[in-house]
Amino acid sequence: MSAEVPTESGTGAEAAQLTAEPAEATVTDFDDEAVGAGLDLLDTTHPSTITGRDRLRKVAKAVLPPLLAVVLLIGIWQALWAAALWPEDQLPAPKAVADNLWGLISTGQVLSILYVSVHRGVLGYLVGVAIATPLGLLLAKVSMLRSAFGPLLSALQSLPSVAWVPLAVLWFGPTPPTIYTVILLGSVPSIANGLVAGIDQIPPILPRVGRVLGAGALANARHILLPAALPGYLAGLKQGWAFSWRSLMAAELIANSPQLGLGLGQYLQNGSSYLDMSMIISAIVLILFVGLGVELLVFRPLERRVLRSRGLSGAL
Amino acid sequence: MTATLENPPARALTEPAVRLAGVHKTFGHGRRAVAALAGVDLEVAAGEFVCLLGASGCGKTTLLNLVAGLETPTAGELTLNTSRPAVMFQEAALMPWLTAARNVDLALRLAGVARADRPARTTELLDLVRLSGVGAKRPHELSGGMRQRVALARALASQPASATEQPALLLMDEPFSALDAINRDVLQAELLRVWRATDSAVLFVTHDVREAVRLGQRVVLLSSRPGQVVRDWDVNGLSGADELDVVDEINTRLREVISSHVG
Repeated sequence: MSAEVPTESGTGAEAAQLTAEPAEATVTDFDDEAVGAGLDLLDTTHPSTITGRDRLRKVAKAVLPPLLAVVLLIGIWQALWAAALWPEDQLPAPKAVADNLWGLISTGQVLSILYVSVHRGVLGYLVGVAIATPLGLLLAKVSMLRSAFGPLLSALQSLPSVAWVPLAVLWFGPTPPTIYTVILLGSVPSIANGLVAGIDQIPPILPRVGRVLGAGALANARHILLPAALPGYLAGLKQGWAFSWRSLMAAELIANSPQLGLGLGQYLQNGSSYLDMSMIISAIVLILFVGLGVELLVFRPLERRVLRSRGLSGAL
Repeated sequence: MTATLENPPARALTEPAVRLAGVHKTFGHGRRAVAALAGVDLEVAAGEFVCLLGASGCGKTTLLNLVAGLETPTAGELTLNTSRPAVMFQEAALMPWLTAARNVDLALRLAGVARADRPARTTELLDLVRLSGVGAKRPHELSGGMRQRVALARALASQPASATEQPALLLMDEPFSALDAINRDVLQAELLRVWRATDSAVLFVTHDVREAVRLGQRVVLLSSRPGQVVRDWDVNGLSGADELDVVDEINTRLREVISSHVG
Protein backbone atom coordinates (compact mmCIF):
# COMPACT_ATOMS: atom_id res chain seq x y z
CA MET A 1 0.00 0.00 0.00
CA SER A 2 2.54 2.51 1.16
CA ALA A 3 4.48 2.28 -2.08
CA GLU A 4 1.40 3.41 -3.97
CA VAL A 5 0.87 6.62 -2.07
CA PRO A 6 0.98 9.32 -4.72
CA THR A 7 4.24 11.18 -4.18
CA GLU A 8 4.87 12.65 -7.65
CA SER A 9 7.17 9.79 -8.51
CA GLY A 10 6.43 6.12 -8.96
CA THR A 11 3.28 4.47 -10.15
CA GLY A 12 0.97 7.38 -9.50
CA ALA A 13 2.81 9.70 -11.82
CA GLU A 14 3.19 7.07 -14.52
CA ALA A 15 -0.49 6.36 -14.45
CA ALA A 16 -1.20 10.06 -14.56
CA GLN A 17 0.87 10.40 -17.72
CA LEU A 18 -0.84 7.51 -19.40
CA THR A 19 -4.26 8.89 -18.67
CA ALA A 20 -3.42 12.54 -19.13
CA GLU A 21 -1.82 12.59 -22.60
CA PRO A 22 -4.68 11.12 -24.62
CA ALA A 23 -7.15 13.04 -22.50
CA GLU A 24 -6.25 16.30 -24.16
CA ALA A 25 -7.02 14.83 -27.55
CA THR A 26 -10.70 14.29 -28.32
CA VAL A 27 -11.70 11.13 -26.52
CA THR A 28 -15.22 10.11 -27.34
CA ASP A 29 -17.40 7.50 -25.73
CA PHE A 30 -16.92 5.34 -28.77
CA ASP A 31 -13.18 5.20 -28.13
CA ASP A 32 -13.70 4.08 -24.56
CA GLU A 33 -16.06 1.42 -25.73
CA ALA A 34 -13.68 0.13 -28.37
CA VAL A 35 -10.70 0.17 -26.00
CA GLY A 36 -12.74 -1.58 -23.33
CA ALA A 37 -13.96 -4.24 -25.73
CA GLY A 38 -10.41 -4.76 -26.99
CA LEU A 39 -9.09 -5.17 -23.47
CA ASP A 40 -11.84 -7.64 -22.64
CA LEU A 41 -11.01 -9.71 -25.68
CA LEU A 42 -7.29 -9.70 -24.99
CA ASP A 43 -7.69 -10.53 -21.34
CA THR A 44 -10.20 -13.35 -21.54
CA THR A 45 -8.76 -16.83 -21.45
CA HIS A 46 -9.80 -18.99 -24.33
CA PRO A 47 -10.20 -22.67 -23.56
CA SER A 48 -8.20 -24.79 -25.95
CA THR A 49 -10.23 -27.08 -28.17
CA ILE A 50 -9.94 -30.74 -27.31
CA THR A 51 -10.40 -33.29 -30.05
CA GLY A 52 -11.58 -36.87 -29.63
CA ARG A 53 -8.09 -38.18 -30.18
CA ASP A 54 -6.68 -35.97 -27.42
CA ARG A 55 -9.30 -37.30 -25.08
CA LEU A 56 -8.46 -40.91 -25.95
CA ARG A 57 -4.80 -40.22 -25.29
CA LYS A 58 -5.68 -38.60 -21.95
CA VAL A 59 -7.75 -41.61 -20.86
CA ALA A 60 -4.99 -44.00 -21.90
CA LYS A 61 -2.50 -41.93 -19.93
CA ALA A 62 -4.67 -42.15 -16.82
CA VAL A 63 -5.63 -45.81 -17.08
CA LEU A 64 -2.59 -47.63 -18.46
CA PRO A 65 0.02 -46.94 -15.74
CA PRO A 66 -2.04 -48.23 -12.79
CA LEU A 67 -3.11 -51.23 -14.87
CA LEU A 68 0.49 -52.01 -15.69
CA ALA A 69 1.42 -51.67 -12.01
CA VAL A 70 -1.21 -54.25 -11.05
CA VAL A 71 -0.04 -56.63 -13.79
CA LEU A 72 3.54 -56.21 -12.58
CA LEU A 73 2.60 -56.96 -8.97
CA ILE A 74 0.70 -60.09 -9.99
CA GLY A 75 3.68 -61.13 -12.09
CA ILE A 76 6.01 -60.81 -9.08
CA TRP A 77 3.53 -62.71 -6.95
CA GLN A 78 3.35 -65.50 -9.56
CA ALA A 79 7.15 -65.65 -9.73
CA LEU A 80 7.49 -65.83 -5.94
CA TRP A 81 4.88 -68.58 -5.80
CA ALA A 82 6.60 -70.49 -8.59
CA ALA A 83 9.88 -70.26 -6.70
CA ALA A 84 8.10 -72.14 -3.87
CA LEU A 85 9.87 -70.18 -1.15
CA TRP A 86 6.88 -70.46 1.16
CA PRO A 87 4.35 -73.24 1.69
CA GLU A 88 1.10 -73.03 -0.29
CA ASP A 89 -1.01 -72.13 2.75
CA GLN A 90 1.07 -69.00 3.29
CA LEU A 91 1.41 -67.87 -0.31
CA PRO A 92 -1.26 -69.31 -2.60
CA ALA A 93 -0.99 -69.02 -6.37
CA PRO A 94 -2.67 -66.04 -7.98
CA LYS A 95 -4.75 -68.60 -9.85
CA ALA A 96 -6.05 -70.10 -6.58
CA VAL A 97 -7.21 -66.66 -5.40
CA ALA A 98 -8.77 -65.94 -8.78
CA ASP A 99 -10.61 -69.28 -8.64
CA ASN A 100 -11.89 -68.47 -5.17
CA LEU A 101 -13.07 -65.04 -6.32
CA TRP A 102 -14.69 -66.53 -9.40
CA GLY A 103 -16.48 -69.03 -7.17
CA LEU A 104 -17.94 -66.15 -5.14
CA ILE A 105 -18.96 -64.31 -8.29
CA SER A 106 -20.44 -67.24 -10.19
CA THR A 107 -22.58 -68.32 -7.25
CA GLY A 108 -23.75 -64.76 -6.71
CA GLN A 109 -22.51 -64.94 -3.13
CA VAL A 110 -20.31 -61.91 -3.77
CA LEU A 111 -23.38 -59.75 -4.21
CA SER A 112 -24.86 -60.63 -0.85
CA ILE A 113 -21.49 -60.18 0.91
CA LEU A 114 -20.94 -56.79 -0.72
CA TYR A 115 -24.51 -55.75 -0.03
CA VAL A 116 -24.28 -56.52 3.69
CA SER A 117 -21.13 -54.42 4.09
CA VAL A 118 -21.72 -51.64 1.60
CA HIS A 119 -25.27 -50.82 2.67
CA ARG A 120 -24.14 -50.60 6.27
CA GLY A 121 -21.18 -48.47 5.34
CA VAL A 122 -23.25 -46.11 3.22
CA LEU A 123 -26.04 -45.81 5.79
CA GLY A 124 -23.63 -45.16 8.64
CA TYR A 125 -21.72 -42.69 6.51
CA LEU A 126 -24.83 -40.73 5.55
CA VAL A 127 -25.88 -40.47 9.19
CA GLY A 128 -22.32 -39.36 9.94
CA VAL A 129 -22.60 -36.62 7.32
CA ALA A 130 -25.93 -35.48 8.77
CA ILE A 131 -24.40 -35.20 12.23
CA ALA A 132 -21.00 -33.81 11.26
CA THR A 133 -22.25 -31.01 9.01
CA PRO A 134 -24.13 -28.94 11.59
CA LEU A 135 -21.45 -29.85 14.13
CA GLY A 136 -18.71 -28.53 11.86
CA LEU A 137 -20.66 -25.32 11.17
CA LEU A 138 -21.13 -24.73 14.89
CA LEU A 139 -17.50 -25.42 15.70
CA ALA A 140 -16.30 -23.13 12.94
CA LYS A 141 -18.54 -20.21 13.86
CA VAL A 142 -18.80 -20.40 17.67
CA SER A 143 -15.34 -19.82 19.06
CA MET A 144 -16.19 -21.00 22.57
CA LEU A 145 -17.42 -24.37 21.31
CA ARG A 146 -14.37 -24.60 19.16
CA SER A 147 -11.87 -24.02 21.92
CA ALA A 148 -13.77 -26.51 24.08
CA PHE A 149 -14.35 -29.34 21.58
CA GLY A 150 -11.91 -28.65 18.76
CA PRO A 151 -8.91 -30.42 20.33
CA LEU A 152 -11.11 -33.35 21.35
CA LEU A 153 -12.37 -33.74 17.81
CA SER A 154 -8.84 -33.67 16.42
CA ALA A 155 -7.78 -36.25 18.99
CA LEU A 156 -10.73 -38.47 18.01
CA GLN A 157 -9.64 -38.20 14.40
CA SER A 158 -6.28 -39.73 15.20
CA LEU A 159 -7.76 -42.50 17.36
CA PRO A 160 -7.98 -45.78 15.41
CA SER A 161 -11.69 -46.52 15.36
CA VAL A 162 -11.02 -50.20 16.03
CA ALA A 163 -10.41 -49.05 19.60
CA TRP A 164 -14.13 -48.36 19.91
CA VAL A 165 -15.16 -51.91 19.01
CA PRO A 166 -14.76 -53.54 22.46
CA LEU A 167 -16.65 -50.65 24.04
CA ALA A 168 -19.49 -50.82 21.51
CA VAL A 169 -19.72 -54.62 21.81
CA LEU A 170 -20.16 -54.34 25.57
CA TRP A 171 -22.84 -51.69 25.08
CA PHE A 172 -24.85 -53.22 22.29
CA GLY A 173 -23.60 -56.79 21.88
CA PRO A 174 -22.67 -58.08 18.42
CA THR A 175 -25.56 -56.28 16.72
CA PRO A 176 -25.88 -53.67 13.95
CA PRO A 177 -25.94 -50.74 16.46
CA THR A 178 -22.38 -51.72 17.42
CA ILE A 179 -21.31 -51.45 13.80
CA TYR A 180 -23.03 -48.07 13.31
CA THR A 181 -21.54 -46.67 16.52
CA VAL A 182 -18.05 -47.53 15.35
CA ILE A 183 -18.69 -46.06 11.90
CA LEU A 184 -20.02 -42.81 13.37
CA LEU A 185 -17.15 -42.42 15.81
CA GLY A 186 -14.78 -42.98 12.92
CA SER A 187 -16.34 -40.71 10.31
CA VAL A 188 -17.88 -37.76 12.18
CA PRO A 189 -14.59 -36.23 13.39
CA SER A 190 -12.98 -36.19 9.96
CA ILE A 191 -16.05 -34.80 8.19
CA ALA A 192 -16.55 -32.09 10.82
CA ASN A 193 -12.85 -31.21 10.80
CA GLY A 194 -12.89 -30.98 7.01
CA LEU A 195 -15.79 -28.54 7.14
CA VAL A 196 -14.08 -26.46 9.83
CA ALA A 197 -10.91 -26.31 7.72
CA GLY A 198 -12.97 -25.39 4.66
CA ILE A 199 -14.67 -22.54 6.51
CA ASP A 200 -11.36 -21.33 7.95
CA GLN A 201 -9.99 -21.02 4.44
CA ILE A 202 -12.78 -18.76 3.17
CA PRO A 203 -11.37 -15.34 2.29
CA PRO A 204 -12.91 -13.00 4.91
CA ILE A 205 -14.02 -10.63 2.18
CA LEU A 206 -16.72 -13.05 0.98
CA PRO A 207 -18.89 -13.06 4.12
CA ARG A 208 -18.41 -9.28 4.26
CA VAL A 209 -19.76 -9.04 0.75
CA GLY A 210 -22.69 -11.15 1.92
CA ARG A 211 -23.35 -8.70 4.72
CA VAL A 212 -23.30 -5.61 2.52
CA LEU A 213 -25.62 -7.41 0.12
CA GLY A 214 -28.04 -7.73 3.02
CA ALA A 215 -27.63 -11.40 3.92
CA GLY A 216 -28.51 -12.39 7.49
CA ALA A 217 -26.68 -15.13 9.38
CA LEU A 218 -28.68 -17.96 7.82
CA ALA A 219 -28.60 -16.60 4.26
CA ASN A 220 -24.88 -15.99 4.67
CA ALA A 221 -24.33 -19.60 5.75
CA ARG A 222 -26.45 -20.99 2.95
CA HIS A 223 -25.38 -18.80 0.02
CA ILE A 224 -21.82 -17.95 0.95
CA LEU A 225 -20.19 -19.94 3.76
CA LEU A 226 -21.25 -23.43 2.71
CA PRO A 227 -20.53 -23.10 -1.01
CA ALA A 228 -17.27 -21.26 -0.28
CA ALA A 229 -16.20 -24.03 2.10
CA LEU A 230 -17.13 -26.76 -0.38
CA PRO A 231 -13.60 -27.76 -1.45
CA GLY A 232 -12.51 -28.32 2.17
CA TYR A 233 -15.84 -29.93 3.03
CA LEU A 234 -15.48 -32.30 0.11
CA ALA A 235 -11.99 -33.29 1.27
CA GLY A 236 -13.51 -34.01 4.69
CA LEU A 237 -16.32 -36.03 3.12
CA LYS A 238 -13.83 -38.10 1.18
CA GLN A 239 -11.72 -38.80 4.22
CA GLY A 240 -14.89 -39.44 6.20
CA TRP A 241 -15.87 -42.18 3.76
CA ALA A 242 -12.44 -43.78 4.00
CA PHE A 243 -12.73 -43.76 7.80
CA SER A 244 -16.28 -45.14 7.66
CA TRP A 245 -15.20 -48.01 5.47
CA ARG A 246 -12.18 -48.84 7.62
CA SER A 247 -14.21 -48.63 10.83
CA LEU A 248 -16.82 -50.90 9.31
CA MET A 249 -14.22 -53.51 8.39
CA ALA A 250 -12.69 -53.36 11.87
CA ALA A 251 -16.10 -53.76 13.49
CA GLU A 252 -17.11 -56.64 11.21
CA LEU A 253 -13.83 -58.42 11.80
CA ILE A 254 -14.17 -58.35 15.56
CA ALA A 255 -17.91 -58.44 16.13
CA ASN A 256 -19.09 -61.75 14.71
CA SER A 257 -22.60 -63.07 15.07
CA PRO A 258 -25.34 -64.59 12.93
CA GLN A 259 -27.33 -61.41 13.60
CA LEU A 260 -24.80 -59.42 11.62
CA GLY A 261 -24.97 -61.60 8.52
CA LEU A 262 -22.01 -62.36 6.29
CA GLY A 263 -20.22 -59.15 5.32
CA LEU A 264 -16.73 -58.62 3.97
CA GLY A 265 -15.23 -58.40 7.45
CA GLN A 266 -16.85 -61.66 8.55
CA TYR A 267 -15.75 -63.34 5.34
CA LEU A 268 -12.20 -62.24 6.09
CA GLN A 269 -12.56 -63.50 9.66
CA ASN A 270 -13.87 -66.85 8.37
CA GLY A 271 -10.88 -67.14 6.04
CA SER A 272 -8.66 -66.61 9.04
CA SER A 273 -10.52 -69.28 11.07
CA TYR A 274 -10.30 -71.83 8.22
CA LEU A 275 -6.63 -70.90 7.65
CA ASP A 276 -7.66 -70.35 4.02
CA MET A 277 -5.25 -67.83 2.49
CA SER A 278 -7.21 -67.64 -0.79
CA MET A 279 -10.29 -66.51 1.12
CA ILE A 280 -8.28 -63.92 3.05
CA ILE A 281 -6.68 -62.45 -0.05
CA SER A 282 -10.02 -62.50 -1.89
CA ALA A 283 -11.59 -60.52 0.95
CA ILE A 284 -8.78 -57.99 0.88
CA VAL A 285 -9.13 -57.61 -2.88
CA LEU A 286 -12.88 -57.03 -2.50
CA ILE A 287 -12.38 -54.46 0.28
CA LEU A 288 -9.91 -52.57 -1.92
CA PHE A 289 -12.29 -52.88 -4.86
CA VAL A 290 -15.13 -51.18 -2.96
CA GLY A 291 -12.85 -48.42 -1.64
CA LEU A 292 -11.45 -47.73 -5.08
CA GLY A 293 -14.89 -47.93 -6.72
CA VAL A 294 -16.41 -45.32 -4.41
CA GLU A 295 -13.40 -43.06 -4.87
CA LEU A 296 -13.51 -43.29 -8.66
CA LEU A 297 -17.28 -43.20 -9.13
CA VAL A 298 -18.31 -40.70 -6.46
CA PHE A 299 -15.56 -38.53 -5.05
CA ARG A 300 -13.21 -38.09 -8.00
CA PRO A 301 -15.91 -36.69 -10.36
CA LEU A 302 -17.40 -34.50 -7.61
CA GLU A 303 -14.02 -33.11 -6.67
CA ARG A 304 -13.08 -32.50 -10.28
CA ARG A 305 -16.32 -30.61 -10.92
CA VAL A 306 -16.01 -28.43 -7.83
CA LEU A 307 -12.36 -27.55 -8.44
CA ARG A 308 -12.76 -26.96 -12.18
CA SER A 309 -15.67 -24.59 -11.71
CA ARG A 310 -13.52 -22.45 -9.43
CA GLY A 311 -10.50 -22.43 -11.72
CA LEU A 312 -8.54 -24.65 -9.31
CA SER A 313 -7.32 -27.37 -11.61
CA GLY A 314 -5.96 -29.83 -9.08
CA ALA A 315 -3.99 -32.82 -10.26
CA LEU A 316 -7.03 -34.66 -11.58
CA MET B 1 -11.04 12.88 -20.17
CA THR B 2 -12.06 15.96 -18.23
CA ALA B 3 -14.74 16.66 -20.78
CA THR B 4 -16.77 13.91 -19.17
CA LEU B 5 -17.59 16.11 -16.20
CA GLU B 6 -18.77 19.12 -18.12
CA ASN B 7 -22.47 18.45 -17.89
CA PRO B 8 -23.22 17.21 -14.39
CA PRO B 9 -26.83 16.23 -14.02
CA ALA B 10 -28.96 18.88 -12.39
CA ARG B 11 -30.11 17.82 -8.96
CA ALA B 12 -32.69 19.12 -6.57
CA LEU B 13 -31.42 20.55 -3.32
CA THR B 14 -32.71 18.09 -0.80
CA GLU B 15 -31.43 16.48 2.35
CA PRO B 16 -27.93 15.09 2.07
CA ALA B 17 -27.71 11.41 1.24
CA VAL B 18 -25.05 10.86 3.90
CA ARG B 19 -24.26 13.02 6.90
CA LEU B 20 -21.50 12.38 9.42
CA ALA B 21 -21.37 14.70 12.41
CA GLY B 22 -18.43 14.41 14.82
CA VAL B 23 -17.94 10.72 14.06
CA HIS B 24 -15.29 8.94 16.12
CA LYS B 25 -14.11 5.40 15.68
CA THR B 26 -11.69 3.79 18.09
CA PHE B 27 -10.42 0.24 17.87
CA GLY B 28 -9.35 -1.61 21.00
CA HIS B 29 -9.57 -0.48 24.61
CA GLY B 30 -7.51 1.32 27.22
CA ARG B 31 -3.92 2.17 26.48
CA ARG B 32 -3.79 0.07 23.33
CA ALA B 33 -6.75 1.85 21.79
CA VAL B 34 -6.18 3.23 18.31
CA ALA B 35 -8.26 6.15 17.12
CA ALA B 36 -9.01 5.63 13.45
CA LEU B 37 -11.38 8.55 13.09
CA ALA B 38 -11.52 11.54 15.43
CA GLY B 39 -14.42 13.83 14.78
CA VAL B 40 -15.21 13.56 11.11
CA ASP B 41 -17.83 15.90 9.66
CA LEU B 42 -18.88 15.10 6.13
CA GLU B 43 -21.94 15.48 3.94
CA VAL B 44 -22.67 13.87 0.61
CA ALA B 45 -25.60 15.31 -1.31
CA ALA B 46 -28.03 13.08 -3.17
CA GLY B 47 -26.51 12.24 -6.52
CA GLU B 48 -23.18 13.81 -5.64
CA PHE B 49 -19.84 12.20 -6.48
CA VAL B 50 -17.43 12.70 -3.56
CA CYS B 51 -13.88 11.37 -3.52
CA LEU B 52 -12.29 10.66 -0.17
CA LEU B 53 -8.55 11.09 -0.38
CA GLY B 54 -5.81 10.28 2.08
CA ALA B 55 -2.60 8.36 2.70
CA SER B 56 -2.49 4.87 4.16
CA GLY B 57 -3.93 4.54 7.63
CA CYS B 58 -6.06 7.66 7.45
CA GLY B 59 -9.21 5.73 8.17
CA LYS B 60 -10.74 6.06 4.69
CA THR B 61 -11.76 2.44 4.69
CA THR B 62 -13.02 2.65 8.26
CA LEU B 63 -15.18 5.59 7.28
CA LEU B 64 -16.59 3.67 4.34
CA ASN B 65 -17.25 0.62 6.52
CA LEU B 66 -19.19 2.82 8.95
CA VAL B 67 -21.37 4.16 6.16
CA ALA B 68 -21.80 0.64 4.77
CA GLY B 69 -23.01 -0.52 8.18
CA LEU B 70 -20.18 -3.04 8.57
CA GLU B 71 -19.04 -1.23 11.72
CA THR B 72 -20.64 1.17 14.18
CA PRO B 73 -19.21 4.55 15.22
CA THR B 74 -17.74 4.84 18.74
CA ALA B 75 -19.20 8.34 19.02
CA GLY B 76 -20.91 10.89 16.84
CA GLU B 77 -23.82 10.73 14.50
CA LEU B 78 -24.19 9.01 11.15
CA THR B 79 -27.34 9.61 9.12
CA LEU B 80 -28.21 7.86 5.87
CA ASN B 81 -31.09 9.11 3.75
CA THR B 82 -30.65 6.45 1.14
CA SER B 83 -31.63 2.92 0.35
CA ARG B 84 -29.15 0.25 1.40
CA PRO B 85 -25.80 1.37 0.04
CA ALA B 86 -24.17 -0.61 -2.74
CA VAL B 87 -20.58 -1.43 -1.85
CA MET B 88 -17.56 -2.20 -4.01
CA PHE B 89 -14.23 -3.29 -2.55
CA GLN B 90 -10.67 -3.15 -3.77
CA GLU B 91 -10.94 -6.77 -4.82
CA ALA B 92 -13.86 -7.83 -6.95
CA ALA B 93 -14.62 -10.51 -4.33
CA LEU B 94 -16.95 -12.38 -6.66
CA MET B 95 -18.17 -15.78 -5.52
CA PRO B 96 -15.75 -18.05 -7.41
CA TRP B 97 -18.26 -20.87 -7.73
CA LEU B 98 -20.89 -18.75 -9.47
CA THR B 99 -20.93 -17.44 -13.03
CA ALA B 100 -20.90 -13.69 -13.58
CA ALA B 101 -24.65 -13.67 -14.11
CA ARG B 102 -25.30 -15.82 -11.04
CA ASN B 103 -23.18 -13.46 -8.94
CA VAL B 104 -25.47 -10.60 -9.93
CA ASP B 105 -28.47 -12.84 -9.45
CA LEU B 106 -27.39 -13.70 -5.89
CA ALA B 107 -27.29 -9.99 -5.00
CA LEU B 108 -30.79 -9.52 -6.43
CA ARG B 109 -31.99 -12.54 -4.50
CA LEU B 110 -30.54 -11.27 -1.22
CA ALA B 111 -32.12 -7.89 -1.94
CA GLY B 112 -35.47 -9.64 -2.10
CA VAL B 113 -36.15 -9.38 -5.83
CA ALA B 114 -38.71 -11.96 -6.96
CA ARG B 115 -37.33 -14.95 -8.85
CA ALA B 116 -39.35 -14.13 -11.97
CA ASP B 117 -37.91 -10.62 -12.21
CA ARG B 118 -34.31 -11.58 -11.64
CA PRO B 119 -33.15 -12.81 -15.08
CA ALA B 120 -34.28 -9.64 -16.86
CA ARG B 121 -32.72 -7.41 -14.23
CA THR B 122 -29.47 -9.40 -14.33
CA THR B 123 -29.26 -8.95 -18.11
CA GLU B 124 -29.99 -5.27 -17.72
CA LEU B 125 -27.23 -4.78 -15.15
CA LEU B 126 -24.67 -6.76 -17.15
CA ASP B 127 -25.59 -4.64 -20.19
CA LEU B 128 -25.04 -1.53 -18.11
CA VAL B 129 -21.42 -2.51 -17.43
CA ARG B 130 -21.00 -3.75 -21.02
CA LEU B 131 -20.64 -7.39 -20.14
CA SER B 132 -23.66 -8.72 -21.99
CA GLY B 133 -21.83 -11.62 -23.60
CA VAL B 134 -19.97 -13.05 -20.62
CA GLY B 135 -22.75 -13.78 -18.14
CA ALA B 136 -22.06 -17.50 -18.37
CA LYS B 137 -18.35 -17.18 -17.59
CA ARG B 138 -16.90 -17.78 -14.18
CA PRO B 139 -14.78 -15.21 -12.36
CA HIS B 140 -11.52 -17.06 -13.02
CA GLU B 141 -12.20 -16.83 -16.76
CA LEU B 142 -12.51 -13.04 -16.66
CA SER B 143 -9.84 -10.35 -16.57
CA GLY B 144 -9.34 -8.15 -13.50
CA GLY B 145 -11.15 -5.25 -15.15
CA MET B 146 -14.09 -7.41 -16.15
CA ARG B 147 -14.32 -8.84 -12.65
CA GLN B 148 -14.51 -5.33 -11.21
CA ARG B 149 -17.29 -4.53 -13.66
CA VAL B 150 -19.22 -7.59 -12.56
CA ALA B 151 -18.64 -6.41 -8.98
CA LEU B 152 -20.08 -3.03 -9.97
CA ALA B 153 -23.13 -4.69 -11.52
CA ARG B 154 -23.52 -6.80 -8.38
CA ALA B 155 -23.25 -3.73 -6.14
CA LEU B 156 -25.93 -1.99 -8.18
CA ALA B 157 -28.07 -5.13 -7.96
CA SER B 158 -28.11 -4.90 -4.19
CA GLN B 159 -30.08 -1.66 -4.45
CA PRO B 160 -33.83 -1.80 -4.92
CA ALA B 161 -34.70 -1.55 -8.61
CA SER B 162 -37.07 1.35 -8.09
CA ALA B 163 -34.93 4.01 -6.49
CA THR B 164 -37.81 6.43 -6.55
CA GLU B 165 -38.53 6.66 -2.84
CA GLN B 166 -34.98 6.98 -1.62
CA PRO B 167 -31.85 8.09 -3.43
CA ALA B 168 -29.22 5.47 -4.13
CA LEU B 169 -25.71 5.45 -2.69
CA LEU B 170 -22.64 3.74 -4.05
CA LEU B 171 -19.66 3.18 -1.75
CA MET B 172 -16.36 2.32 -3.39
CA ASP B 173 -13.15 1.41 -1.58
CA GLU B 174 -10.23 1.91 -3.99
CA PRO B 175 -12.00 -0.27 -6.52
CA PHE B 176 -9.52 0.29 -9.34
CA SER B 177 -6.22 0.40 -7.46
CA ALA B 178 -5.36 -3.20 -8.26
CA LEU B 179 -5.79 -2.69 -12.01
CA ASP B 180 -3.21 -1.72 -14.60
CA ALA B 181 -3.23 1.86 -15.85
CA ILE B 182 -5.15 1.33 -19.07
CA ASN B 183 -7.83 -0.81 -17.47
CA ARG B 184 -8.20 1.73 -14.70
CA ASP B 185 -8.62 4.48 -17.27
CA VAL B 186 -11.37 2.61 -19.08
CA LEU B 187 -13.13 1.70 -15.85
CA GLN B 188 -13.06 5.28 -14.59
CA ALA B 189 -14.90 6.39 -17.73
CA GLU B 190 -17.26 3.45 -17.29
CA LEU B 191 -18.00 4.43 -13.70
CA LEU B 192 -18.81 8.01 -14.67
CA ARG B 193 -21.17 6.72 -17.36
CA VAL B 194 -22.89 4.38 -14.88
CA TRP B 195 -23.06 7.13 -12.27
CA ARG B 196 -24.85 9.42 -14.73
CA ALA B 197 -27.15 6.63 -15.82
CA THR B 198 -28.16 5.63 -12.29
CA ASP B 199 -28.51 8.96 -10.50
CA SER B 200 -26.72 7.55 -7.50
CA ALA B 201 -24.63 9.39 -4.93
CA VAL B 202 -21.06 8.06 -4.82
CA LEU B 203 -18.54 8.03 -2.00
CA PHE B 204 -15.29 6.95 -3.61
CA VAL B 205 -12.20 6.20 -1.53
CA THR B 206 -8.82 6.50 -3.22
CA HIS B 207 -5.22 7.44 -2.55
CA ASP B 208 -4.68 8.63 -6.12
CA VAL B 209 -5.04 12.42 -6.42
CA ARG B 210 -5.49 12.38 -10.19
CA GLU B 211 -8.19 9.76 -9.96
CA ALA B 212 -9.98 11.74 -7.27
CA VAL B 213 -9.94 14.96 -9.30
CA ARG B 214 -10.94 13.25 -12.50
CA LEU B 215 -13.90 11.41 -11.03
CA GLY B 216 -15.23 13.53 -8.21
CA GLN B 217 -17.31 16.66 -8.04
CA ARG B 218 -15.75 17.24 -4.67
CA VAL B 219 -12.50 15.95 -3.18
CA VAL B 220 -12.21 15.56 0.58
CA LEU B 221 -8.74 15.17 2.10
CA LEU B 222 -8.40 13.18 5.32
CA SER B 223 -5.44 13.41 7.67
CA SER B 224 -3.89 10.25 9.10
CA ARG B 225 -3.93 8.74 12.60
CA PRO B 226 -6.43 9.85 13.62
CA GLY B 227 -8.47 10.62 10.53
CA GLN B 228 -9.96 14.07 10.30
CA VAL B 229 -11.19 16.14 7.40
CA VAL B 230 -8.36 18.51 6.43
CA ARG B 231 -9.99 20.33 3.56
CA ASP B 232 -12.27 19.86 0.65
CA TRP B 233 -12.02 21.09 -2.91
CA ASP B 234 -14.78 21.67 -5.40
CA VAL B 235 -13.39 20.08 -8.55
CA ASN B 236 -16.61 19.88 -10.51
CA GLY B 237 -16.18 20.42 -14.24
CA LEU B 238 -12.53 21.42 -14.07
CA SER B 239 -10.41 20.78 -17.13
CA GLY B 240 -7.06 21.52 -18.68
CA ALA B 241 -4.75 23.79 -16.72
CA ASP B 242 -7.26 24.34 -13.89
CA GLU B 243 -7.46 20.62 -13.29
CA LEU B 244 -3.69 20.26 -13.25
CA ASP B 245 -3.43 23.17 -10.81
CA VAL B 246 -5.88 21.58 -8.40
CA VAL B 247 -4.09 18.24 -8.67
CA ASP B 248 -0.84 20.00 -7.80
CA GLU B 249 -2.43 21.84 -4.92
CA ILE B 250 -4.02 18.73 -3.44
CA ASN B 251 -0.82 16.78 -3.94
CA THR B 252 1.17 19.42 -2.08
CA ARG B 253 -1.31 19.38 0.74
CA LEU B 254 -1.33 15.60 0.91
CA ARG B 255 2.48 15.52 1.06
CA GLU B 256 2.36 18.10 3.79
CA VAL B 257 -0.09 15.98 5.80
CA ILE B 258 2.06 12.89 5.33
CA SER B 259 5.33 14.61 6.31
CA SER B 260 3.73 16.12 9.41
CA HIS B 261 3.75 12.61 10.88
CA VAL B 262 7.54 12.51 11.03
CA GLY B 263 9.01 13.74 14.32
